[in-house]
Amino acid sequence: MMRSNSKALNQAPLRLLTAVATALTLAATASRGADDLRYNRDVRPILADTCFRCHGPGVQKAGLRLDTREIALKPTKSGAVPIIPGKADESEIVRRIFATAEDEIMPPPKALKPLSAEQKNIVKRWIEAGAPYERHWSFEPPRKEAPPSVEGPNFRINNPIDAFIADRLKREGLTMQPEADRETLIRRVALTLTGLPPTLQEVEQYLGDTSSKAYENMVERYLFSPRFGEEMARHWLDVARYADTHGLHLDNERQMWPYRDWVVRAFNDNLPFDKFTIQQLAGDLLPNASREDLVATGYNRCNVSTSEGGSIDAEWIFRNAVDRTSTMAETWMGLTAGCAVCHDHKFDPLPAKDFYSLYAFFYSIAGPAMDGNALLHEPSLKLPTAEQEAKLAALDKQLNETNSEIAQKYQALAYNDPAEVAASAPEKPADDPLLSLRVWLKKGGGDQAKDAPADLKPLLQQAKDGKLNADGEKRLREHYLKTVCTTTKAQFQPLIEKAANLSKERTALDSSIPATFIFREMPQPREAFVMLRGQYDKPGEKVEPNTPAVLPPLQKAGARASRLDLARWLVSPEHPLTARVAVNRLWQQVFGTGLVKTSFDFGTQGELPSHPELLDWLAVTFREGGWDVKGFMRMLVTSATFRQSSRVLPDVLKRDPENRLYARGPRFRLDAEQVRDNALYVSGLLSLRMGGKGVRPYQPPNIWEPVGFSGSNTATYQADKGEALYRRSLYTFLKRTAPPPYMANFDAPNRESFCTRRERSNTPLQALQTLNDVQHFEAARALAERIVVEGGTTPQDRITYGVRIVLARKPDADELAVLQEQCLKHLDRFQRDVEAARKVIQAGESKPRPGLPEHEVAAYTLLANTLLNLDETVTRN
Amino acid sequence: MHPIFEHQLLQTRRQFFGNVGLRAGGIALGMMAAESGARAATTERVHPPLPGFPHFTPKAKAVIYLHMNGGPSQLDLFDYKPRLHQFFDKDLPDSVRNGQRITTMTSGQSRFPVAPSKFKFPQCGQSGMRVSELLPFTQKIVDDIALIRSVHTNAINHDPACTFVMTGHEIPGKPSIGSWLSYGLGSESNDLPAFVVFTPAWPSSGNGQALFTRMWSSGFLPSRYNGVALRGKGDPVLYIENPPGVTSTDRRLMLDSLRRLNQREFDRLGDPETQTRISQYEMAFRMQSSVPELVDLSNEPKHILDLYGPKATTPGSFSHSALLARRLVERGVRVVQLLHRGWDQHGALPTALKNQCEDTDQGTAALVMDLKQRGLLDSTLVVWGGEFGRTVYSQGTLTPDNYGRDHHPRNFCMWMAGGGIKGGVVHGETDDFSYNIIDKPVHVNDLNATILHCLGIDHEKFTFKFQGLDQKLTGVEHAKPVMEIVA
Repeated sequence: MMRSNSKALNQAPLRLLTAVATALTLAATASRGADDLRYNRDVRPILADTCFRCHGPGVQKAGLRLDTREIALKPTKSGAVPIIPGKADESEIVRRIFATAEDEIMPPPKALKPLSAEQKNIVKRWIEAGAPYERHWSFEPPRKEAPPSVEGPNFRINNPIDAFIADRLKREGLTMQPEADRETLIRRVALTLTGLPPTLQEVEQYLGDTSSKAYENMVERYLFSPRFGEEMARHWLDVARYADTHGLHLDNERQMWPYRDWVVRAFNDNLPFDKFTIQQLAGDLLPNASREDLVATGYNRCNVSTSEGGSIDAEWIFRNAVDRTSTMAETWMGLTAGCAVCHDHKFDPLPAKDFYSLYAFFYSIAGPAMDGNALLHEPSLKLPTAEQEAKLAALDKQLNETNSEIAQKYQALAYNDPAEVAASAPEKPADDPLLSLRVWLKKGGGDQAKDAPADLKPLLQQAKDGKLNADGEKRLREHYLKTVCTTTKAQFQPLIEKAANLSKERTALDSSIPATFIFREMPQPREAFVMLRGQYDKPGEKVEPNTPAVLPPLQKAGARASRLDLARWLVSPEHPLTARVAVNRLWQQVFGTGLVKTSFDFGTQGELPSHPELLDWLAVTFREGGWDVKGFMRMLVTSATFRQSSRVLPDVLKRDPENRLYARGPRFRLDAEQVRDNALYVSGLLSLRMGGKGVRPYQPPNIWEPVGFSGSNTATYQADKGEALYRRSLYTFLKRTAPPPYMANFDAPNRESFCTRRERSNTPLQALQTLNDVQHFEAARALAERIVVEGGTTPQDRITYGVRIVLARKPDADELAVLQEQCLKHLDRFQRDVEAARKVIQAGESKPRPGLPEHEVAAYTLLANTLLNLDETVTRN
Repeated sequence: MHPIFEHQLLQTRRQFFGNVGLRAGGIALGMMAAESGARAATTERVHPPLPGFPHFTPKAKAVIYLHMNGGPSQLDLFDYKPRLHQFFDKDLPDSVRNGQRITTMTSGQSRFPVAPSKFKFPQCGQSGMRVSELLPFTQKIVDDIALIRSVHTNAINHDPACTFVMTGHEIPGKPSIGSWLSYGLGSESNDLPAFVVFTPAWPSSGNGQALFTRMWSSGFLPSRYNGVALRGKGDPVLYIENPPGVTSTDRRLMLDSLRRLNQREFDRLGDPETQTRISQYEMAFRMQSSVPELVDLSNEPKHILDLYGPKATTPGSFSHSALLARRLVERGVRVVQLLHRGWDQHGALPTALKNQCEDTDQGTAALVMDLKQRGLLDSTLVVWGGEFGRTVYSQGTLTPDNYGRDHHPRNFCMWMAGGGIKGGVVHGETDDFSYNIIDKPVHVNDLNATILHCLGIDHEKFTFKFQGLDQKLTGVEHAKPVMEIVA
């Protein structure tokens, strides 16, 4: 958190402007009509790139500042008026940019930023049209414009997305690629929607479907697969910063996987995004909040926490609230609000007061500031199943019955202390403490004192010292007669044992019931203040919960705004950001890059959208369509834009290396989890069991150990056994200070904070992992066994089968020849070296299938290892 | 991606793999053996330089960048201020601070008492350069180093300052200097990555700030120019060993097939990432031999190990990393970066800084001496420094023996040695409080321009078209190499 604060604290305005300027190029569009000029899209990029550096918020040479209309319309030091709306020829900046004399022309030649004739004319025309400035684009409400009509043989329009994309392509002089072949498409769709490749049966079904709706039918199957929720959740959990440890200092385990499972269910049940928002941000405040509503509030509890000695409560209440506020702002609004923790945001209209007004919504969580290094950090919620609940009730009932039976028996008990015989009695008074309460008391419990319950021990001492009061004597008497006295205890013993067993059973059952962190409000909210310069102990002005002034006003249900009001405000139709930010992330998930590439920043430092009209159209459509996430995903993957071949021609690659114009289909490397899940799935090893506590798959030694504190319960890593090794990566235990290397290696975030866009690196270390890591190599062995058992008898048939499983397509003749040549050499070698073959097939914990020729399995293991390492395999093509 | 350069690179790579590699899985192995320990001939390079690079004859071929993460105190190490003692516990004059921003960590302090360094600064070497008693080994190499006392940066906190010093920008997403260099100059090694990173252990007394992978990542450059981090513990590189039963010959056979299939994939779809992947698999294979050889110190003579000190053979220590840095440069690696944490002394500075120095000083000096005696210092640029300096005023407790210092971006010290740098030189000067630069300021961009210059690159001409702009390591404002320290 502190990191992002400081980031903005230090940003030199000039450099930022450059960054903004940089970001604009893609948005700059091909020529448009004069009446179509827009400040944000057409004019600001020119000014930002060439003028603001010396005449902007940072520096105002000659007293000239062009980024603010009011100032730009006033005379500068020289008396000249930079901009006179409607009178371009009288405006000083027009005179200067069209000047020819070296000491007149702007920008000055030494800046090496000459304006093109077209740029000069845009500025001129804009001033002629009244020089209308616009607010930053993302604060204006999205406008749903009619999709352009585009025609031509090179454009296929399946839905409005394609119209917007094609319109831009046409203006750029580019065309769409033809549709990809069916094998590519089904794999692309399956990986996009479920994170797993298609099975052979699914491929065959699709290829065999001759109906005109074959593609749509195929898409439906994946949209309604339970795997859909898992894949969607994976992306959301990056945003929500979900992990299985606290993240700081000891980095101990925490229990909130029920929240993770809630997210999976929410996507599978197609919970509308507005409800999805409200439940996570304020489920606890909903009327009659259900258990699910409460579990959902775990979103607000995923922040890192600490219990390090010396930590100050006030500081951590502050820091946790800052984290929750910033994460909320980035998740739903794409605002890097963290900057305003220390000062007014320098580039976005977010004063510190607005930040702390948002923060006030999150400042009054019930429960301690410190996590206590415990599994559960209050507030939390127990989540028994109905069966567990019944069992608990039954145990409680039995326990009660047993206890009252004991009480009754004790009531009925007649005990005469044998030490209290009449002086006249013939027998001597007893002196055995096991027979006489009085003797036992006098001896302070004697030999049995050490076995007495802790709360009775002081009483025994008092008895010994003769200082026992009546109440103490009563308690000791009961204990004595029930458990010590030889003549009475026998009748209690079985009952006491029964009660102890019941109570032990209850404790065991209770502790087996999972719980999860939730958010609850304190009965009396804390007063919140602007914290001066972001210091937890420097309260300034008092603030009430409220939303930023630059955005539409908040509707309050009560006198004091609640988190529920905030959540409803976010998904209200007036909000300019929420829908845009949400659809942009979904677009990014499907196409690899957002329409706004900086999907974490829709502020002025972020990039402009590559297709602003499309983004707005999508945002409004999503909102008006009831925030239907599945429906939205369906629209994206059924677009012709998505269905294009990803083949790229060299000249298009030069024009658009990042495929921001979509003149080809998306093609990019699988994410970390997908790389592993894919290998496990095609090999048949993957367990599709859903939900539950995080599992610990294979991990090389010395990942946790070097960073682990010795007192931490996650200091040493012990891999699980059996099925847990093969669960989907979504369920891998995530230790924040030492994330699983198979994830980090492929750019998965460590979940310490919000992450909305992963990098996609391409490194030799990734190659080494997929070649050599036991989980990939074991998968290769299992795949080899499938190939040998199911794939026929000839190498040709088997290789073909292997390629079909892995790539959803048949190999061509050349590929087959390459693989066959390789395979025969492996076969030959392992036939000669059975010892090596035996080692090869022993990889991992799962045992090789019995009865298969070892040299064959070994040879096909290397073949399968090859298939699993193909560029095509680790890529969504 | 620069289209023309990229095209030529692809062509080169294509030839390599298409004509040499394909026929000769075996040859690649043989070639590797022959090249082991020697810089590969330029003509056979897998990662050739960009056309036209270097721009002029370089002084240095490689860089070893020792980054002391957290902000080492210039006042206690290199910026000798004898007159400060008169000001002990006196308020820093307003005329000095001049209303400059300070971090939130001390901005709440009621006063800013001056904390003179408690350490002695003897004159050292022929040059008589003054270096703190905390750095007895560095004192021995002063005649090889150019000390810059006037480096300044834009950022005042760790994250942006680290990002700035390594990428020339505070905002993440730009390539690190190591990535720029490996992009422009390629690699002289065919079997090790062009750019290698170490993150050695640091003393427990050190205040260890987080490191960021963006300090060695490629930003908008193709991802193959990412630095490769070597691990101190466990396998130096994860998953470097073949699975049981699989030999290097098996692997080669398999990779030949993989490469042919991937090449077909590239021919079909034309995605440059496929080309990158092909080269990364080949690199992975070569690393399987080169990495074990690299970390095997059994052939290092005792006097060399002694030079690097008692931790020379302890994997993950600074000295061990420094020794490996030398071995990497010997093997043709272009850039080696050591990021040593723990230099963020807000409090209890004297004790903690001493530990930091003890952890690194001997290894640092040994590296320079070792390179020199091998004749490699002439062609290797060694850079030492952090992301900013520290304040003259104390944070927290102040006694003559105990004080802390806050972040100070306005001036700090770095030094360079070797390839193209004059030895025994001090550049730039600060005021009596080491608070403002009074002579020859060197901005981080100037420093990076100097590094590029030593490697034969004109930083103004080293650009990459991205998002419509000609992006540079050295930013948009005019930067210039510090020619006074260039030999």
